Amino acid sequence: MSLDINRKKVTKNAYRVTKRRNMTAIRVRVPGGHLDAEHLKTVAEIAQKFGDGNVHITIRQGFEIPNIPFEKMNEVNAALKPLLETLQCANGVVIENLDNGYPGAGMRNISACIGNRVCPFGNVDTSALAAKLEGQLFPNDFHVKIAVTGCPNDCIKAHMQDFGIIAICEPQFDYDSCIGCEACANTCRRKVTGAITMRNGKAVRDVRRCIGCGECVLACPTSAWTRNQTKFFRLVIMGRTGKKNPRLAVPFLNWVTEDVVMKVIKNTIPYIDKHILRCLAKEHIGYIVDRTGYDTFRREVLDGIELNSEAKVAKTLQWPGYDTVNDANMKSYNQRKV
Amino acid sequence: MKNNPYRPVAARILKITRETAIEFTLRVEAQADITPGQFFQVSLPRTGEAPISVSSFTRDWIEFTIRAVGKLTNVLHQLKEGDTIFIRGPYGTGFPLEKYKDRNLIIVAGGSGLAPVRPLIQKALDGSIGVKSLRLIAGFKNSEGILFSHQFEDWADKCDFTLTIDKPEPGWTGNTGMVTEHIRKLSDIDFADTEVVVVGPGVMMKFSTAEFVLLGVAEEKIWVSFERLMSCGIGKCGHCKIDYTYVCLDGPVLNYTHASTLID
Amino acid sequence: MQSFDFNYQQFAEVFARLGKKFRLFGPKRVPGRGRFSDTDLITYADLQNPEDLETAEKSYLSPKSIVFPPDETTFYFTADQFTEPELSDNRETIVFLRPCDINGIERLDRIFLENGKVKDPYYQRRREKLHFFMIECRESFENCFCVAMNANRTDNFATAIRFAPEKVSVMIQNESFLEAFAEVGKKSDFVPEFVKKDSKAVNLPDVEDMPADIFSDSLWDEYDSRCIACGRCNTSCVTCSCFSTVDIFYPDSRNCGERRRVWDGCHLDGFTDMAGGHSFRKDKGDRMRFKTFHKIYDFRKRFSEDMCVGCGRCDDVCPEYISFSSCINKLSDRLSGGKKDEE
Ligand SMILES: Cc1cc2nc3c(=O)[nH]c(=O)nc-3n(C[C@H](O)[C@H](O)[C@H](O)COP(=O)(O)OP(=O)(O)OC[C@H]3O[C@@H](n4cnc5c(N)ncnc54)[C@H](O)[C@@H]3O)c2cc1C
Ligand code: SF4
Ligand code: SF4
Ligand code: SF4
Ligand code: SF4
Ligand code: SF4
Ligand code: FES
Repeated sequence: MSLDINRKKVTKNAYRVTKRRNMTAIRVRVPGGHLDAEHLKTVAEIAQKFGDGNVHITIRQGFEIPNIPFEKMNEVNAALKPLLETLQCANGVVIENLDNGYPGAGMRNISACIGNRVCPFGNVDTSALAAKLEGQLFPNDFHVKIAVTGCPNDCIKAHMQDFGIIAICEPQFDYDSCIGCEACANTCRRKVTGAITMRNGKAVRDVRRCIGCGECVLACPTSAWTRNQTKFFRLVIMGRTGKKNPRLAVPFLNWVTEDVVMKVIKNTIPYIDKHILRCLAKEHIGYIVDRTGYDTFRREVLDGIELNSEAKVAKTLQWPGYDTVNDANMKSYNQRKV
Repeated sequence: MKNNPYRPVAARILKITRETAIEFTLRVEAQADITPGQFFQVSLPRTGEAPISVSSFTRDWIEFTIRAVGKLTNVLHQLKEGDTIFIRGPYGTGFPLEKYKDRNLIIVAGGSGLAPVRPLIQKALDGSIGVKSLRLIAGFKNSEGILFSHQFEDWADKCDFTLTIDKPEPGWTGNTGMVTEHIRKLSDIDFADTEVVVVGPGVMMKFSTAEFVLLGVAEEKIWVSFERLMSCGIGKCGHCKIDYTYVCLDGPVLNYTHASTLID
Repeated sequence: MQSFDFNYQQFAEVFARLGKKFRLFGPKRVPGRGRFSDTDLITYADLQNPEDLETAEKSYLSPKSIVFPPDETTFYFTADQFTEPELSDNRETIVFLRPCDINGIERLDRIFLENGKVKDPYYQRRREKLHFFMIECRESFENCFCVAMNANRTDNFATAIRFAPEKVSVMIQNESFLEAFAEVGKKSDFVPEFVKKDSKAVNLPDVEDMPADIFSDSLWDEYDSRCIACGRCNTSCVTCSCFSTVDIFYPDSRNCGERRRVWDGCHLDGFTDMAGGHSFRKDKGDRMRFKTFHKIYDFRKRFSEDMCVGCGRCDDVCPEYISFSSCINKLSDRLSGGKKDEE
């Protein structure tokens, strides 16, 4: 009996057409890449019962369970229910029918480094923030990649995302506690940007050089440096891999609050809706921004948002990347024989 | 604050003697009850403070011989006669002069180590300690480093004085060789009645005292003077501590039996 | 000696009353100011109300800052004039602290008030203002070894306080505090108890004089590579009393400046640097040895008691998981001819 399925509907339901005829794969969303180990059992069950027992861990921190026959989709969807309940609904996602699987797949899983649940460098609970974003943004059909990283080390590779959210901290200085040991200045110079110099036996931070990593806080033996309780973020945007021109994301906003980050990303949805070329299969946001120009993007996504007083906004954006069609530079290379 | 031991007194510079390219002697107007071997905390407001040995004193003035090596000492180097420095002290335990009475005294000084022993030499020579005899060996790396040369004639007149530089130099007609070589030559002496003082850089003191021990000098008759980083001079800051010894209190002059047990 | 019980509301009343006359200083939880994000810093600080007082957890930094601040101006300079600063707060001070820390401050007294027979006036003027309100410790925290250090008990306190879940019990030794408590509290027969057993067994070396070869023993070598000289074990230690003196000048003035003393520590670089670049303890293992001996050996030679009071903070704070108490045990083992290499 030949299969007759609506491919677009299937894709929207987080299944995909695979290399093997009649077989699909389901993508399980794990916002922030953090989950109760109990859920691994559900993933395992689906793989064993409906697939071939294999699970692929995706770069975006989801699971892709391959080799599931298309006709099992309904059963798989039913089996996904506990995952939807805890990983999506519990975070505020509204899903009308929990037996129908994922209601969208355009907005990719929101990934996060392990963050301050574990990592000493982490400035925020990245998984929690990813979960919160999931609650606000999912389901959504636009192709947008978002990741949250706990500090400028950027272990989640936020610089390869459409929205890379980098948690930073503002180190605050208690003058009386500083004993002039220079540990902060040394660590900032060796590992970061050299934002701290010593003046009259005290550490002085150059706010323009400081990238908010928090290394100085970690280094200080007297807790003279501590973190401002307001959490700040740097939002780098429109980084991408891909066939046309891969590039690193660049800072759009710096020293903005979580609130601003959330609102900006939400505002992006109507921006995409307005400008996307519907004749293309699925225009990625990065290419839309390339087309509309940064000014339009900035005006529309910042519309109606009150920026916190510390916030800085990029005047212009220029992405370091390269064009994949640059054969002028790529020549055959023959090792000359001696 | 009453009796604040950290509060220095002003002392006017009476005279400045250039000793070498980077060493100089400041004579300041000040009175204090000093034992040779003691030191003062010398300071300039806003520049810093450092321990400096008394290199000579009378009832009316105190001399400090200083090597310009850092923050404070470089600024001190720029001062003129009539300027003011600030001093507090004297600190530490100096040489036990009563132990040297009626004894033969041998003093071996290396380099700037001659500064802290100079008051001892002067007191031995002017008869106020009552030593039976004084033998002085002063060694320097080279002729350019020689301190107090204007006094050598006087010293040579009054005691058995050996001046040596480590290596021969063109134009140098005096002794050469490390002080240890000259100590070795003292084998003819009867050490029973003799006290030995060795002051200089750490390595020099280590080898010189070893040389004396080899010659059969009893360890309790050997005296050395230590230098350690110091911040307070009065047993509070902890910088100068070696084991249970505070160099600023129990030293800088220490008996060899004590000094030889100390491990930094 | 009299004792009283209070509910927390009544205790707050007493606290407020004391606060009118005294400066109140004690362990305080500062939310979100810990070394890692979203962790709290428990430090010693001025207390505004009783909720500020952290009684459940051990503090990261010690109470020594009340007598020995991390940075203290000793003189203000105007041209060649030396002026001593006034204390910014001249009130008598009540310090809430545990038995080990009371003993710890007594160790600081040895250095600042007795060593060299000179009293340090900056320390003294702060110290004279203190009244110890002892927070009772009945069970040791992680890493504590005050029992081994003989610092689990003290009778040097004005009052002793037990913070129980439902009530606060106070024993008053210093009569001048009686009134403040007696008017609000209910008489009780509370007597403070002390920790009887350390959470970790620590054996002190049983030797009068350290044999010379233990100074160069391979026991210290592991610390050469393990210790990163961050200095936390010194800064968090209630009994570390070392400091450096620095002169500063105000950038916009040729004539004005200050002389200050700031905490220093024997694990930090530069502690023994001499002119000409020589440093006496370059290797971290030597620093570990030097600290260890100061804490449990040579201080005793001068003052007939050990410096370390076993508060365990050095173990709590070391980012490299170097355990000082384990080091003491290793040393004792080695001295009694025990294990050679633990690895
Ligand atoms: C008991 C005693 C007696 C001394 N007598 C004399 C003397 O008579 N004449 C003289 O020139 N010097 C003497 N010194 C050494 C002198 O104190 C230092 O050279 C001086 O501290 C340098 O101060 P500064 O501010 O110029 O240098 P800084 O800029 O402070 O330091 C320059 C270098 O010297 C080191 N240093 C700092 N303090 C000391 C110290 N106390 N001892 C050794 N190195 C130090 C620093 O770590 C640095 O490496 C004596 C030291 C002691 C402990
Ligand atoms: S937060 Fe990072 S960049 Fe900023 S001063 Fe501290 S160490 Fe340097
Ligand atoms: S690490 Fe802390 S104490 Fe050291 S210089 Fe920096 S702020 Fe000051
Ligand atoms: S050495 Fe460690 S255990 Fe001992 S008093 Fe200091 S911090 Fe506490
Ligand atoms: S252990 Fe080190 S820092 Fe602490 S008091 Fe002793 S010498 Fe000073
Ligand atoms: S806290 Fe640990 S790493 Fe830091 S100086 Fe002390 S022993 Fe070394
Ligand atoms: S110089 Fe401060 S304790 Fe000796």
